Amino acid sequence: MHEFVDAMDAATSGCSRRDLLRGVALGWISSFLPAAFAATAAEDTGGFNALSALLTGRKIDDPTRSRRLFDALVADKASFMSDVAALLDMIRTRNIPVAQLQTALDSEKSPFAALPRAVVSAWYLGIVGSGKTARCLDFEMAMNAQVVGDVLKPPTYCYGGYGSWAVKPI
Amino acid sequence: MTTDLSSDFVVIGSGICGSLVARELAMRGASVLILEAGPRLDRGRLVAAFRNSPRRSDWMSPYPAVAWAPHPIYQPEDNGYLVQAGPYPYPAEYIRAVGGTTWHWAAQAWRLVPNDMRIRSLYDVGVDWPMTYEELDPWYQRAEEIIGVAGAENTGSPRQKPFPMTPVAEPWSMRRFRERLAPEYAVVDNTVARNSRPYDGRPACCGNNSCQPICPINAQYTGGVAADAAEAAGAKLLPNTVVYHIEHDATGHIAAVHYFDPDKTSHRVTGKQFILAANGIESPKLLLLSASDKYPAGLANSSGMVGRNLMDHPSTSLTFYAEEELWLGRGPQSPSSINTLRDGAFRREHAPYRLDFTNINQVFAVTQSLIAEGVYGAEFEKQLRWRAARQCNVKNVLEVLPNPDNRIALSAQKDAMGIPKPEAHYSIGDYTRKGAEDSKPHFARIAELMGGTGLRYSAEGNFANNQHITGTLGMGSDPANSVADSYGRTHDHENLFICGTGLMPTSATMNSTLTAIALALRTADHLLPANASKSAEHAA
Repeated sequence: MHEFVDAMDAATSGCSRRDLLRGVALGWISSFLPAAFAATAAEDTGGFNALSALLTGRKIDDPTRSRRLFDALVADKASFMSDVAALLDMIRTRNIPVAQLQTALDSEKSPFAALPRAVVSAWYLGIVGSGKTARCLDFEMAMNAQVVGDVLKPPTYCYGGYGSWAVKPI
Repeated sequence: MTTDLSSDFVVIGSGICGSLVARELAMRGASVLILEAGPRLDRGRLVAAFRNSPRRSDWMSPYPAVAWAPHPIYQPEDNGYLVQAGPYPYPAEYIRAVGGTTWHWAAQAWRLVPNDMRIRSLYDVGVDWPMTYEELDPWYQRAEEIIGVAGAENTGSPRQKPFPMTPVAEPWSMRRFRERLAPEYAVVDNTVARNSRPYDGRPACCGNNSCQPICPINAQYTGGVAADAAEAAGAKLLPNTVVYHIEHDATGHIAAVHYFDPDKTSHRVTGKQFILAANGIESPKLLLLSASDKYPAGLANSSGMVGRNLMDHPSTSLTFYAEEELWLGRGPQSPSSINTLRDGAFRREHAPYRLDFTNINQVFAVTQSLIAEGVYGAEFEKQLRWRAARQCNVKNVLEVLPNPDNRIALSAQKDAMGIPKPEAHYSIGDYTRKGAEDSKPHFARIAELMGGTGLRYSAEGNFANNQHITGTLGMGSDPANSVADSYGRTHDHENLFICGTGLMPTSATMNSTLTAIALALRTADHLLPANASKSAEHAA
């Protein structure tokens, strides 16, 4: 637990240890609550932020963005919040390294196997859902645009003056 | 039914060819009416639609089909408009809208090479064109001057006059290809309808890297620009007019066309000359739809060749990681090629091809791959940067020979307006497959010279389509085996002309738009020869 939470804290600024623990706890509690209570609990993005930080390896420090993605993911799957809590609990209890997470989930045919990809897609692509229900929530501010922002502009944005692309990028 | 419209020239389709023909004729004082099945588009809205799309590698995503004039859509699911009869899928993409498909092209504006038009005589394959490259040269030049083409002299296509613009500045990534592949391969600048300086009121490229699906700043020419120019010249353009029937009189003259508006009210339009420019799928569809007692196989189809000899440019490819950081995505999407395999005695045995390097931003594709692989944590960002900096791709652009069995026919299925859908019958012949095989060692050598790792060839037997719809209305000198003459005049109806890539009797190895424009301008001049003031009409 300590190793996991320490790693989380290192990767997280807006998301505290308290958020993480509360996320796990609320998920566990919400699984026993009627829908109305679960909806109230879903107001809390703590667990989502913690899982997001773990999976993306990036700081989750924009509450507005976090809320938008969270709400979209919840809209796609009513059990999203409790699933997040359960997955966090599983990672914590078994101390699963993030590099081995997907393999573990797939090999166990875990009901949460699709969850990490959904979360990472939301943050890195700005896309929630798939197929006909896929929708774009972020483009310029999606993590994949941000992490290369020193070299590339998101497509459709002007790179620079004419010919500015001819020089060595870095 | 109403009969409320008439014009000297009636143009069906407002794509780059139809609009430029209309512009030419209108500038010469003719009354010109353009009937366009689809709606008007707005550049700003297209840019916003792309940014807000969850399908960023689907160039059709900003261009949804309208109910009254559907076009093929494949993602997130196939809308079933282009019916696939097989045996090989032909998932053509095109846009039914004012301006047509070149809203989202890569603006590659190549000439053919002279031998492309004589492959039957020279290599005993395909067919010869009913004209020579030399005859087309001045029309190529005029097309290049109108749409604004930037290019280099070393691409294999001879010319009598200079390009209107110097080549677009070479991206760093392409420079490294050029330097590392020399002297074994000559990597040259692509010939493009993209501005390397302000041209004709449009700005120079600023490297938005979204040429497909939309240039946000209008630095590349599109059919939208052409449609605007046609209207400015005096042509009348009616969007949302779905032509569904071409009417002839007892002598075989075309008398009128009939269109539905979106409410399915029918209208009749009369004219003196009719120009069918609705693309290589919609044009033959319309001719077949217009069958009558006198012409039971459809109009212009005494040869039986309407819709037949469907061609495109299939591609196989190699994706790999270059040894050094290239950072594709800086500058335009399609900057460079290897052109030395476009022609040679080998054409007796296998398809020629161009080798094309992409400069499309790899970030979206790489992110999708990492997600699919289940990479998480700090490794994700590290891998994303490493791969986005190094991932690159080379593909072939292969010639397809004319084959009457490859064709567009009418489907038994109908669209929302009750009009039969087009049905594609398609296969990839041995000639093309051998060309793909021939390119593989070149792919491997190119990767080797780039210090490539992680080589990923496209799946065996899997060909990507390039949306260069060619043939289907092939021109020729013999009415027994061709649809139109070299001026696009149909052999069967003296006042029905065809413009567009469908006229091309062979596909060669280069994107077909510029050739179709050159042919269309030649048609316009044949219909209404320019007067002495012609040379003053365009100022770069």
